[in-house]
Amino acid sequence: MEYLSLFVKSIFVDNMIFAYFLGMCSFLAVSKNVKTAAGLGLAVIFVLLVTLPINYLLNTYVLAPDALVKGVDLSFLSFIVFIAVIAAIVQIVEMVVEKFSPELYSSLGIFLPLIAVNCAILGGSLFMQQKDFLNIGWRGNRVFPGQRYRLVPGYRLPGGYPREDELLQRAGRPQRSGYHLYHRGSHGHGLHDLHGY
Amino acid sequence: MNAKLKETILNPIFKGNPITVLVLGICSSLAVTVTLKGALVMALSVIVVTGISSLILSLLRNTIPGRVRIIVQLVVVAMMVILVDQVLKSFEATYAIDKQLSVYIGLIITNCIVMGRIEAFALGNSPWPSFLDGVANGAGYGLILIIVAFFRELLGSGTLFGFDVLGWMGYVPNNLVILPPFALILLGCIVWVQRSIQKDLQEK
Amino acid sequence: MNTNNNVYTVIYTTVIVVVVAALLAFVSQSLKSKQDANEKAETISQMLTAAQYGTKAELDKLGNVAKLDKYAQEIDKAFVINLDGEVVKELEGIEVYSPKALKRQNYNIKGGANATGEPELPVFVFKNGRTVVPIYGAGLWGPIWGYISFASNLKTIEGAYFDHESETAGLGAKIKDDPSFQAEFVGEIADFSSKNVFDIVKGGAPKDAEGKSVVDNKIDAISGATMTSQGLDAAIDTWLGAYAKYFLSGAPAAAEKACCGKHENCEGHQHEGCEKHHEACEGEHEGCQHHNCEEE
Repeated sequence: MEYLSLFVKSIFVDNMIFAYFLGMCSFLAVSKNVKTAAGLGLAVIFVLLVTLPINYLLNTYVLAPDALVKGVDLSFLSFIVFIAVIAAIVQIVEMVVEKFSPELYSSLGIFLPLIAVNCAILGGSLFMQQKDFLNIGWRGNRVFPGQRYRLVPGYRLPGGYPREDELLQRAGRPQRSGYHLYHRGSHGHGLHDLHGY
Repeated sequence: MNAKLKETILNPIFKGNPITVLVLGICSSLAVTVTLKGALVMALSVIVVTGISSLILSLLRNTIPGRVRIIVQLVVVAMMVILVDQVLKSFEATYAIDKQLSVYIGLIITNCIVMGRIEAFALGNSPWPSFLDGVANGAGYGLILIIVAFFRELLGSGTLFGFDVLGWMGYVPNNLVILPPFALILLGCIVWVQRSIQKDLQEK
Repeated sequence: MNTNNNVYTVIYTTVIVVVVAALLAFVSQSLKSKQDANEKAETISQMLTAAQYGTKAELDKLGNVAKLDKYAQEIDKAFVINLDGEVVKELEGIEVYSPKALKRQNYNIKGGANATGEPELPVFVFKNGRTVVPIYGAGLWGPIWGYISFASNLKTIEGAYFDHESETAGLGAKIKDDPSFQAEFVGEIADFSSKNVFDIVKGGAPKDAEGKSVVDNKIDAISGATMTSQGLDAAIDTWLGAYAKYFLSGAPAAAEKACCGKHENCEGHQHEGCEKHHEACEGEHEGCQHHNCEEE
């Protein structure tokens, strides 16, 4: 249920364009007809899906304070690393798609270069780094319709996956909290990296 | 100063304004225009970033390998943005504003104006005009930002630069003005005014 | 020159990246101390605001140095306690907990995979008798944190200041920008014996006939900012809950001092019970209660 609720929330409630006003430039430029709009939409989803997990891993294991070597804080490099990853991935994806699926390339290809400078993509990475969501669903890394990557790197439980009763307990019974209704579901994120609340 | 340089400077500020005519970089213009102070700092940051990265890339323009052109541009722009961000964080006066602008300083990297001017102008022109072009485009962006922020802070909080302007006469701040959609409405009004003055911008 | 050959491309990008990284590392290193100083001064001015040493705007007019001086002048004692309310270490000089440090402690209070050890809970006692403790939690869009100051009876809230990273301007951001919201906390009494230490109530806290908030542990939520209000409520409950043992064990001691030290009535009666147990004093001697020990 949580995934479904996150999915719906990401698409409608926390919509990148309506709630954050990111990606407006290309939104205005290509929404003149359905075909180009769908093309850019697909390309954005695709690139976000690929770049966000990579940036998450880089942020957690390389850039965060004490992550690489104790006492070293590389977080000042994060802008440059994120944008370099995005630009590099976009170029690689473009080449791969061109080589293996000329059909897909012809429909998607022209939009890929546009995406390197789409603020929604970089915004996704910056929000991933800046915001620590806990209070609503699985909000860790989701930024654009349908993004749910936190599932992969997020699960770092010492004892593997939690038992079902543990999950139920975490989900249903917040500790030391007055907000049962609101926090329903949020405490599942004790097992979750960025979720510190 | 010759006429061409003058045109380079004046065109982006008024006639070919990047926000109202080209509709570039409006994401941040919606997000950072709640207060005049924030808008002013954002405008100055963008001017510095567009100006200096245009200058650097114009100096490098004959050495950049074509295949990695976009990445080299992004690296230089990102470097400038990080420098601006670090400097803003270091001064007592701008520390609070940097916190308020949060991710939108970082998002200058993907502001289409910066990359757009580098691609379209800096890579084909010598350093001095490129620098001026960058600064002028940043200024054109900043001008609109400040106009929008002026109305939003005045009507939304009853203040200007944090000083009480309307509050003493019992003005009740309008919450709609604070929210981002109003910036879009204001922007629309500015475009309307500009197009009724410059008839040649109207689409037939 | 052929700028399209492979070797040239690789060397060129390597050089650019190395130069840029070196420059940024140098700049960030040389500015780091200034940035940390800004953050520390900001934290201190927030604590001083909560402890009622002036409004935030007044304190912000002071420079960084003046803020630190003021703190050094006004701090009585600062120490770190554990969940059992025992003092585990003293904080020497000007040592405060930045939001980043609070985040770490927030993991520790919550437990789970991110905990790095026992929670360290800082307590700051100022010379005006107010005790300031931090809170930290999640708002709608990002972290929120703040400082709450208690009177020397360790129950009555005398001030609060909150900050946030990215709440909606004009709505959720009111926890920081609206002094009247922060003023609502003043005079309320936290209930440390319950899990709901403090409540921020949507739809209105209990009011008396004149529309003033009744003295209890409930205040009104911010209209239009339900999520932020709820997040703040949860953050306060979590953190004050962690401090509960300290406040509960400290409260009688502090109240006893106020009662016996300042109220002649009570001292005049010469009841040993008064010196040992506050309740005894309050229960048996009307004179003492009349003078309202709790407010001292």
